[in-house]
Amino acid sequence: MSTKQTIAIIGATGNMGSAIAKSLSKTNNRLLLFARHFDKVQALVEEIKKGNASAEAEAVECPTNASWEADIIILALPYADEKEIAAKIKDVANQKILISISNPLNETYSALVTAADTSAGEQLQQLLPNSKVVKAFNTVFAADFANTIIDGKQVDTLIAGNDTQALETVSELARSIDLNPLVAGELPWSRTLENMALLLIQFTMKYNYNWVAGWKVLHN
Amino acid sequence: MYELFFQKFNEKIALTAEEEAFIKQYLTPKKLRRKQYFLQEGDVCKSICLVEKGALRAYVLDETGDEHITAFALEGWTLGDLYSFIKAEPATWNIDALEDCELVLISKQAHDELMQTMPKYETYIRMLMTDAYMALQRRTTYMISLPLEERYLAFTQMYPTLFQRVPQHMIASFMGLSAETLSRVRSRISNRK
Repeated sequence: MSTKQTIAIIGATGNMGSAIAKSLSKTNNRLLLFARHFDKVQALVEEIKKGNASAEAEAVECPTNASWEADIIILALPYADEKEIAAKIKDVANQKILISISNPLNETYSALVTAADTSAGEQLQQLLPNSKVVKAFNTVFAADFANTIIDGKQVDTLIAGNDTQALETVSELARSIDLNPLVAGELPWSRTLENMALLLIQFTMKYNYNWVAGWKVLHN
Repeated sequence: MYELFFQKFNEKIALTAEEEAFIKQYLTPKKLRRKQYFLQEGDVCKSICLVEKGALRAYVLDETGDEHITAFALEGWTLGDLYSFIKAEPATWNIDALEDCELVLISKQAHDELMQTMPKYETYIRMLMTDAYMALQRRTTYMISLPLEERYLAFTQMYPTLFQRVPQHMIASFMGLSAETLSRVRSRISNRK
């Protein structure tokens, strides 16, 4: 028996947010979904429940309340929107696991807008010093969540963070949605992870992968 | 969010504003809805919690699946499966919310760090555990030595707010009685008067 966790997804109606929400709705967790347009969140909840009537997903109107109730918070927002939300949830996210999935891409997806000595993950940790920020799922495309096996191989999700228990919890969460977690190390590894996302996007556009592509470490 | 937590803390040992801010860094605010679980049997109890608002109960299931209530927590009380929390072994207790709750959690990691870095926290925990041990001693003594009517009266004196707040069948379970027996005990007491 395992105590059900409550997961808040902030930005649940975006490409990544809705893909993660749909995937997690098949696991033994409760989802609280928030996005700017409440009607879109309601539509997403309806879609999830149509596919799986026993799924526990709920549209919520306030990101602070959702995060207060949550055990784990997933920020499925563009990098530029993270700062504003971080201020809203700072108090209620104290000591909680906060998953950062963003990639600080420029408008043409040709480079990162962050300096070389930092990353979106580290910046979020600075904004929320008492939360356990974990970088995860940023190297996974939205469509991959429904296609975790590509070319016969299970997609890896690379993970970075400073808290060992939080890394274990997020790895377990990744396994529950059929992704293979690989822990890179502490949060500064986010720089590499965000650059790997950029590189994957570059490959995808160059070689027409049709946005179903992922990283896989081959090993014996 | 942490009002009662610090009120209870300060009743045991006074904190400065800086010390409160220091401790606050380690606390997890958490809402729980009625009937949701804080802990389920078999999981490790990773946090203890203080109830800011609402009510929790702890129970164990016997072989036949019947519930036996082992503890309650109302506003200002602290609850957790202590054995599981300290030993990091699977919990034998289930803890769920009787009402919508606002909780303040202290994770094992936060607890261990505070115990090492802050003597006042250690003092607070020592006093909390001493109080809990004394209450447990009284409760166990009542359970095994007092006749039913006296046991009921002793429990009502020990937990006056609880008896007003939770349904009788839960009180009965908490006292190790069936609901019918408790009802008979209560009517015998009122006939006495």
